[in-house]
Amino acid sequence: MAERYELKQKEVWDGNMAAAHALRQAQVDVVAAYPITPSTPIVQNYAQFLADGYVDGEFIMVESEHSAMSACVGAAAAGGRVATATSSQGYALMVEVLYQASGMRLPIVMTVVNRALASPLNIHGDHSDLYLGRDAGWIHIIANNPQEAYDLTLCAFRIGEDERVRLPVTTNQDGFLVSHTAQVVEPLQDEEAYKFIGEYKALNPMLDTKNPVTYGAQTEEEWHFEHKANQHKALMESFPVIEEVFNEFEKVSGRKYNVVETYKLDDADIALVLMGSAYETAMLAVDKAREEGIKVGLLMPRVFRPFPYNEVAEKLKNVKAIAALDRSAPMGTTGALYNEVAGALAAKGQSAIMTNYIYGLGGRDTTVEHILEVIRETEKNAKAGKRVTDLQGFINLRGPKLSFN
Amino acid sequence: MLQIRWHSRAGQGAVTGAKALADVMARTGKYVQAYSVYGAEKRGAPMTAYDKIDDKPILDHSKWMTPDYVLVIDPSLVFQEEIVDNTTDDTIFIVTSHMDKEDLLSVAKHLQGKKVYVVDAIKISQEEIGRAIPNTPMLGAFMKVSGIIPFEDFLVSIEDILSKFPKKIIEGNLRAIKRAYEEVK
Amino acid sequence: MATPKEMLTTWDKVQFGAVLPAFEDPEHKKRSKFHSYNYSVADWRVEKPVFNRELCIDCDFCWVSCPDSCFIVEEVVNKRGKKQAKIVGINYNLCKGCAVCVEVCPTPIKSLLMFPEYVDNDEALKQWPTKDNK
Repeated sequence: MAERYELKQKEVWDGNMAAAHALRQAQVDVVAAYPITPSTPIVQNYAQFLADGYVDGEFIMVESEHSAMSACVGAAAAGGRVATATSSQGYALMVEVLYQASGMRLPIVMTVVNRALASPLNIHGDHSDLYLGRDAGWIHIIANNPQEAYDLTLCAFRIGEDERVRLPVTTNQDGFLVSHTAQVVEPLQDEEAYKFIGEYKALNPMLDTKNPVTYGAQTEEEWHFEHKANQHKALMESFPVIEEVFNEFEKVSGRKYNVVETYKLDDADIALVLMGSAYETAMLAVDKAREEGIKVGLLMPRVFRPFPYNEVAEKLKNVKAIAALDRSAPMGTTGALYNEVAGALAAKGQSAIMTNYIYGLGGRDTTVEHILEVIRETEKNAKAGKRVTDLQGFINLRGPKLSFN
Repeated sequence: MLQIRWHSRAGQGAVTGAKALADVMARTGKYVQAYSVYGAEKRGAPMTAYDKIDDKPILDHSKWMTPDYVLVIDPSLVFQEEIVDNTTDDTIFIVTSHMDKEDLLSVAKHLQGKKVYVVDAIKISQEEIGRAIPNTPMLGAFMKVSGIIPFEDFLVSIEDILSKFPKKIIEGNLRAIKRAYEEVK
Repeated sequence: MATPKEMLTTWDKVQFGAVLPAFEDPEHKKRSKFHSYNYSVADWRVEKPVFNRELCIDCDFCWVSCPDSCFIVEEVVNKRGKKQAKIVGINYNLCKGCAVCVEVCPTPIKSLLMFPEYVDNDEALKQWPTKDNK
């Protein structure tokens, strides 16, 4: 039996330590990982917990991230609660197996620390890896600070393992800005956290030798479409479960999460849509803009996949202009978040003026002042009743002005 | 919000120092943020670490700040002009040097007209801890200059934070902290 | 189309996660509809293997090598009181006549030989080679 870890009511943890404690409290059976900056400390801390007797489980050291996710798939198919962590290039190497995990409906939890993708090499935070895994069939949840990284990792187990869902889940936190930033975190005590997550229920475990099963069967054109449609439906219909888990979590922690988060959006004329730590920085910009008389609000999809398009459109129905901020190089089109929001609005026949901003690539600093500038530009569009600013702008980029229309 | 910027070399313990200060302040009920800015470079490269301390949750995740305090724990970095970046006339500098304040300011001209305190955190850590790890003595000096919390309370918290280390190390650090508290001027 | 029409379920009824069970009823070893055991290609056969129990040493090479799980096995207790698998025959509903079993059979005179499909098995056994005539 694992030892109980003494936790203070308030701890000062960075995002990595917060995620590692959540994995520890979930009493994961198997963690297979290949550490990579900036998520290394998650794996390192977890291994330390295990060595110190705080975890009853297996830690498998593997030779690459592809092997890490493969071992996770094997262990989850065998019937265990499984988790891992990665970032950036490691995430990229896992991608092939991410699709296998979701197709086999294995509720693996992966704590992702978002980092830019090379080349050029960069260890700092942006959402390139999150966007890379967008269509892999996983649930992607976004955490904006260490407290959320902890809370949402606990929720991730319960969401993914729910019988109505049974899908793998990532929790995402910004590299360094959250992962290496120590803040006050109020953890649950071990028993309370484990009680919230619950015992793992294996489904079709391969280690049940009396009832052998084949995982990863070949399907071809007679079957593949039906299976993929079935899997997509599970993802699309996971919203009520996610909400249910968020509600349950509020009961034990007092902290409430929503599938779509908003800030001062109710009376807003303009809105900014963004995800990650910059959402919190933007709150301060909104407060300042409101002092200037600009009625601005914020919206963040807490869950990037499945994308809550109906709720996003509903919450944005009264705004006149929207700026969607993407923290990933869009490489040949408008940013993914812009596209998602534009699609959501179009589906409801809404026609707010939309612009796109690219920010924070490779950890580039994005300050309150930068976001305030975006708010002021968006305000111009709302006032003019048409788009008078660039379709796509770049925040805090050195050099001559770059924009696309 | 109180904002503190550390200037250090990778490996001197500024990240640990910044996190320890955040931990100490969190125990008094404050909200804190401690982070650092560094690349994937080698030990010895100049880097910065940051503390933000406030009465309400800290939402700003940008790295930029106008520091109230600048703590320089490496004696050679005192001579880099970057240490005055984004500071105001009210910013207080606590720097590590074997020189006294007058001699130092005559060489480090960028610090002239600034509020500067000097402590030889390198010598103190070498003598009391046995290694040139100037982070904890700097905390002692900061406690004296800022008076942010009672020194006795600080000592209780920091002893608990250091409790994972061997007794000899803890005692050395506490001696170094107390000496820096006395010697900073 | 290779899959029998009655097996083509719709998207809402497909097997969860494409995880396919081997048995519909594990206790009675009743194979599931997904098991390739139920997918016969025996009508392709033009030559059949015939099994000669008299010569068989129960090495199970044929059982391991057969791509269609044709060999019928019985559990018996040997002289030392231990459980052992005994090859008792061939399920011709499964055999496609590939002759791998004949290839791997190690007995000095093969315990398995290929004969034309139309030759009766008793007749085939009568034609079996002997030590002098192999």
